[in-house]
Amino acid sequence: MRVWHYDGLSALRREPDLVADGDAFRLVESDRSEGPYRFADLVARDTVDGDAIYGLKGSTGWRIGFPGGLPADLAPRLPAPTRYGRLIDRIGLWPAAALCATFAAIAVGLFLMTPALVTRAVPQSVERKLGDMMAGDFGDRNCAGPNGPQALAALVARVAPGDADARVSVVNLPIVNAVTLPGGRIVLFDGLVKAAASPDEIAGVIAHELGHVRHRDVLESLLRQLGLSVLLGGLDGHVGGYTNALLASAYSRDAEARADGFAIDALAQAHISPLPTARFFKRLSAGEDAQGIGRLTAYLATHPMSQDRASRFIAAANLHHDDRPVLDADQWGALRDICSADPKARAAGFRF
Amino acid sequence: MHESQGNKAFAFSGDWREFAPIAFTNLLLSIVTLGVYLFWARTRERRYLWSRTQFIDDRLEWTGTGRELMVGYGLAMLIFVIPFGFINLVVLNSAVMRGHPGLAGVIGLVLYLAVFFLTGVAIFRALRYRLSRTLWHGIRGGSDTFGLAFGWSYVWKSVLGWFTFGLIVPWTMTSLWNERWGEMSFGPYRFRADALAAPIFLRFLLFYLAPVVFVFAVIAVAVFGVVAGGLGSWGTVPNPGAMPFVLLAIMAGFYLLFFIVLGVIALVFYSAYFREAVGALRLGDLEFSFTATTGDWIKLFAGNFALVIFTFGIGQIFVGYRNWTFFIRHMHAYGEIDLARLTQSTTRQPGQGEGLLDAFDIGAI
Ligand SMILES: [Zn+2]
Repeated sequence: MRVWHYDGLSALRREPDLVADGDAFRLVESDRSEGPYRFADLVARDTVDGDAIYGLKGSTGWRIGFPGGLPADLAPRLPAPTRYGRLIDRIGLWPAAALCATFAAIAVGLFLMTPALVTRAVPQSVERKLGDMMAGDFGDRNCAGPNGPQALAALVARVAPGDADARVSVVNLPIVNAVTLPGGRIVLFDGLVKAAASPDEIAGVIAHELGHVRHRDVLESLLRQLGLSVLLGGLDGHVGGYTNALLASAYSRDAEARADGFAIDALAQAHISPLPTARFFKRLSAGEDAQGIGRLTAYLATHPMSQDRASRFIAAANLHHDDRPVLDADQWGALRDICSADPKARAAGFRF
Repeated sequence: MHESQGNKAFAFSGDWREFAPIAFTNLLLSIVTLGVYLFWARTRERRYLWSRTQFIDDRLEWTGTGRELMVGYGLAMLIFVIPFGFINLVVLNSAVMRGHPGLAGVIGLVLYLAVFFLTGVAIFRALRYRLSRTLWHGIRGGSDTFGLAFGWSYVWKSVLGWFTFGLIVPWTMTSLWNERWGEMSFGPYRFRADALAAPIFLRFLLFYLAPVVFVFAVIAVAVFGVVAGGLGSWGTVPNPGAMPFVLLAIMAGFYLLFFIVLGVIALVFYSAYFREAVGALRLGDLEFSFTATTGDWIKLFAGNFALVIFTFGIGQIFVGYRNWTFFIRHMHAYGEIDLARLTQSTTRQPGQGEGLLDAFDIGAI
């Protein structure tokens, strides 16, 4: 039968006869004969203008075309063309789509779980090194006003008596927020210290952050962000700036609730009233601070406030007895002025 | 042997209704595979577009595969993007923190130039890949070089551009065009390109100076407004409380106008560039020309924009189709091809697709 043919060596279009012989064939013209080729070595290409077109395995540009489609007697001997892709063609479009959708759902689920799993696999020592590296960002802003660090240490010792590793510092930035670095460092910003009405409020915030430390929520959140930025941005040059990442890192609702639970237990054991903490949260969510709402949004952004958060702390107060303030007036004064009374702490201002 | 004067050498015979099933199944499969199918989707789209494109007496054929594209992408990610991200994220940050901002600056600059180099290589290799996967009469194209020299050219011409405040951009664009096409071939024939910067420089200057003119115009309008307001002619503004809102609306209007006007002026330049670039291309005895005017380009972009917006993004699946038909509609070729002398390309076929290009997310043309 007559086919059109390119031999892949020159651009001349030939019109030979295809002469079949068992599972092979030859392409015969009056003055020239090509082949034999095996039918099994043909590769189906897309049908164009009704012509069924085949290429040859291992050859670029070799083509035969059957004008008007494949003759019925040859059809069983020739491979079918790929349409969506070899795998999908084999199982059909809709089953393949359903199968892929199932796998996709599983993959998304696994992806969401990965940071938690990876976090558990990272050794504490590695996490601590990472945290130390990031702490360098704040290095020259750490406040150490007269008796301030001692007051802070006393506060931490009350909240977490058994925890010798708890490392809390105050940094001279006018942001109402606290962040936890990987490895358990907790950084309070001076804005939060100034916004607190009593040391008990700060104790509540620190207890909450200690909850994040205990559950290694920071590392998980960082890993999640890293994963997302790789996935979305392909790490294209603007990933730097840990601090921004930290400030932007919101923990999951579950992690927040867990950290609150930890804080409530810690306050109960330390005989510190949870009511000031509840008041602090309420003040934050109402934006009642005299300094203006703008300063408050930082904590709200990373710790979404809800009515039941404060309620949980209030409810916990029912089980408390003989609570006493976490710091005395002198210590509280020293803590409040930990930055303003420290000439060495670098002046407030934004570097990032 | 084949004259192509008179009727058009390039013709497109597809139909969007025929293409729609391909586009929609591509969309479906891309979604359920979380984007992995995109490589195969692009391949199917090109197979259709190429097969409906006639050059002189025969159709083009796309022989690339989805697997090649995916392998290319995976390799580019593995070899370049992830190490780059790592250096960027870990090394640079820690260097800064250890108090060596100078060192960090040097590493940053080197990284930046390296990205430029790879961008150049990516552009070159994408063109080479496309030619090597395009068949006509069973013959393909390609290139004997890997694009490394072009990558360096891309770097130094870009750097030179910064030092001349961007004024030599037309020269950068045309000379890079000439350089990469000069390395390409189809069958035994080398492409040649001798595009010039001079014919398009005036239009570039228009684009270059437009923002300056615009800023002065805004200042003039603002000053005029304040003066007029002072003279009381704005006394008709109903209440003073609405003033900031009105001002804001005017500002937003200017902002929008700025980008639309600048976009149009950019197309005034780009259309001239593309006509010059394609018009300077030769292959054997073939000459090419591209006839799209600024108006045609505006219609293309406005149409694509409307197509995507009014379908809530789904129309995106037809943008590639529109771009290709636009391209073919305005593409012309003149001259002769001796089919007997058009023999198979001896260039090495690249093993993988446009991975680097994808990885750096660079546009097509
Ligand atoms: Zn929290």
